[in-house]
Amino acid sequence: MKLKIGIYWGAACGGCDVAILDTHEKILEIAEAADIFFWPIAMDFKYDDVRAMPDGHLDAVFYSGAIRNSENEEIALLLRGKAKAMIALGACAHIGGIPGLSNMFTREDTLRRAYIESESTDNPGGVLPSERTVNDGNELELPRFYNTVKTLSQVVDVDYTIPGCPPASMQIYSAIGLIADGMLPKKGSVIGAGDRALCDECARTKSEKKITKIYRTHEKLPDFETCLLEQGFICLGPATRSGCGSRCIKSGVPCRGCYGPLDGITDQGLKMLSALASVIDGKEEQEINATLDTVAAPLTTLHRFSLASSIPRRKKV
Amino acid sequence: MKRIAIDPITRLEGHGKITIFVNDDGTVENAYLQIPELRGFEKFVEGLPVEEIPRVVTRICGV
Repeated sequence: MKLKIGIYWGAACGGCDVAILDTHEKILEIAEAADIFFWPIAMDFKYDDVRAMPDGHLDAVFYSGAIRNSENEEIALLLRGKAKAMIALGACAHIGGIPGLSNMFTREDTLRRAYIESESTDNPGGVLPSERTVNDGNELELPRFYNTVKTLSQVVDVDYTIPGCPPASMQIYSAIGLIADGMLPKKGSVIGAGDRALCDECARTKSEKKITKIYRTHEKLPDFETCLLEQGFICLGPATRSGCGSRCIKSGVPCRGCYGPLDGITDQGLKMLSALASVIDGKEEQEINATLDTVAAPLTTLHRFSLASSIPRRKKV
Repeated sequence: MKRIAIDPITRLEGHGKITIFVNDDGTVENAYLQIPELRGFEKFVEGLPVEEIPRVVTRICGV
């Protein structure tokens, strides 16, 4: 029997949806294995169509995007009820992703910047979006914009996670294969990724690291042979799950951790900080700290994709 | 008065909904296009190292 699936996005860019389409001709195999009952980027089903489904109607729902507002959360809860398996697709649903960087600021900071202060905004009345507006006697609603961006698993029970920004297309294809073949591993597993650190798959040569200076990527050209961290570039490979095919590293660009932490690690950024502390050359605390101080924007560099899933989840303000 | 909601609007990148208010005689009184989403790139790029911006703003739209 064909699978019934739904695909949705919260606070997302659509890159995960495109990664599904980037399976190219294999999309035909997906279409043979599964009927799609909801997919806003590509198909015309509405929220009311989902509301009308009986509970557990869908074999799997792929939810990409973070939880940024009340609509993202409401639809996540709705789809959770309709899904036998809820799958977090991509870094935003998994660990907060780039939208999670918003947790460095408050709701008010963000609204003021976007709707009042930005150079391209013309809003003399200083109007901000509100949950309820009456215009000409017509009542209109908007979702509530949250102060703190959340991950999918912070609002609903998540069965499986496919990490990445975006997830590698063939990894999505194999994950759908696991569902179709009834071969899903135990609940809570990460699927469509490796189970080692990215460093373990990296082809660059590594020796004992002794870092005395951290370089920003514009300060010197990396060579293509040696470990980027050894060259002094912050590379999140030691704290990041493999499975991406080292796309960035092969291009000479250090990893920013989009595949998230390995099993058993709660806070990817702290794991990276720990890895970094162990490779800084120096005997005195002061000396080590002086090198660490040269890391530009450490919080958002070490938690580039994972701030919303870090232990504090957001900057306290 | 009748209210028609098209929610969500589909086959595009991003979130949107259309609400149409229809008079009893069938004419349209008002129609609204609403964009219910904001992620806040305008604010959260502040404080990031400038050389990192290209890898962040490419996540505005991945289509």
